[in-house]
Amino acid sequence: MNILLLLPSLIIIILTFFIPIFRYTWLSFHSSSVITRLNEIPNNGANWFRLFEDNRFWQDAFQTIRFSSISVGLELVLGIVIAIVLNKELKNRGLIRTLSLLPWALPTTVMALGWRWIFNSPYGFIERFLIYFTKDPINILGEPSITWLATVVGDVWKTTPFIALILLAGMQSIPYNLYEAFDLEGGKPFKALFKITLPLIEPYLIISILFRTAQAFGVFDLIQVMTGGGPAGSTESLGVYAYLNAMRFLDFGYSSTIMIATFIILIIYSITITLALKYLIKTLSLI
Amino acid sequence: MNKNLKLIIIIIIIWSIGPLLWQLYTSFSTTENLINPFNITSNRWTLENYTNLFKSDPTFIRFIINSFIVGITTSLFTIIISIPSAYAINKFSNLYQRTFKSILFLTTLFPHILLFLTFLELARMLDLGNNLFTLAIPYTGLSLPLSILLLNSSFKDIPPELEEAANLEGLNLLERLFYIILPIAKPSIASTTILVFLFTWNEYPIALSWITKSNLLTLPVSIARIAGSSMYTVPYGAYAAATVLGSIPLILLVLLFQKQIISGLTNGAIKR
Repeated sequence: MNILLLLPSLIIIILTFFIPIFRYTWLSFHSSSVITRLNEIPNNGANWFRLFEDNRFWQDAFQTIRFSSISVGLELVLGIVIAIVLNKELKNRGLIRTLSLLPWALPTTVMALGWRWIFNSPYGFIERFLIYFTKDPINILGEPSITWLATVVGDVWKTTPFIALILLAGMQSIPYNLYEAFDLEGGKPFKALFKITLPLIEPYLIISILFRTAQAFGVFDLIQVMTGGGPAGSTESLGVYAYLNAMRFLDFGYSSTIMIATFIILIIYSITITLALKYLIKTLSLI
Repeated sequence: MNKNLKLIIIIIIIWSIGPLLWQLYTSFSTTENLINPFNITSNRWTLENYTNLFKSDPTFIRFIINSFIVGITTSLFTIIISIPSAYAINKFSNLYQRTFKSILFLTTLFPHILLFLTFLELARMLDLGNNLFTLAIPYTGLSLPLSILLLNSSFKDIPPELEEAANLEGLNLLERLFYIILPIAKPSIASTTILVFLFTWNEYPIALSWITKSNLLTLPVSIARIAGSSMYTVPYGAYAAATVLGSIPLILLVLLFQKQIISGLTNGAIKR
């Protein structure tokens, strides 16, 4: 009986999340493109050989990892700071929470264009601001070496509230007398952060980092709208590349190969970063 | 209050809503003043950006309505399908419960952009494209895991004695669900619904590949289209007005339901 209640969701979830994996794996060993008129013809792993020699793929992989590690890292640090502030006894906590929640709630595409306007050259807010310091400000969205940092700003702006709220929930579960005891024993206040707060909110930190890393790896809306992957492909993420291959080059086989490869890289990266975070929290608590 | 603390709070607030205020400011500016924003002239402000949105075909309101249609359909589907499952999971042995929940948690980590291609193939095969109601199908699939996890954790908080008593009274499963479980779990049903709605409202890649007819576009896609209209000259005034209009429903939603959103988000993270 109970399994019957569960069945509809189970079927939908398998169809939604697991069938694609099988489908992509299968497609990744087939040619399926305009040339084959979207017929699927086995090609002995040609997609995979192509992938290994595809510089654009590896550059995008590098960019995706760079983007997610820096974004998520910043979001975590800022999230901890904001959560600590919100955890204090504040008069207007509700209002502050609501306001900081707004960036998270708005569609990514909406504010991606908003950021594009803010970083616009020469009429955007940032450049108008920079002009006071330098006569010849750089066009942030036109400079391949720094444009990705602008996309990081957009991502950090949008998702830090999300992390802060989760960490705040974690901090509120820590009994206050732990801090009092620490204080009585003569511990310095900032050390309480490393010795009490961080170790006790470790599960929350890990969930946020996993959640955000997975999302940042699949970054698409932000990049497509804010930079279109440019300049010179410098901000193109794996998600954008996979999308382009399917929708513009109509090469479903290769697009699937990229997606499976992205999954594999994401899994390896997530495990690494979770272990690193655990290690970091432990080390910090021992200082 | 501590002075440093106050400063940090002010920075947080400016950081959070500054970019939104800049959009608001832009949306009321004439194009000339966008190029020269600190130039105070007599006809500095304009409503033209807004009126243009209503003159275009289809009007911008159409996209907002479309997003509402998909959002409400998806929320309904998701809640109806996830309630029985969320309830049923608790009836299994601990090992199974943990297995189910781990799988559900794992699926919430899937980047959605990596799933769009299969959905698109499905849409082509079954001719589901260009339809707001069928678009709710993949959205429901994507929202289910989180929705089940959230509801499940709130059902778990209901004391089993309540249900046992109802069982002795002769209420069947459906009646127990309707008269005992759901009324108690109302707050978490509300927060789950709102989170699903928010996700749907903001989803982009699937809507982008499923919908090609311009009168069926959802809000995020319509806005991205403005951006794509030209790589070099985006009509920022018009766009800013679109942003403001498109944000108003969400801002209202956040203001009205911030408690539910926050409790949904945090419960989703904590209780697995």
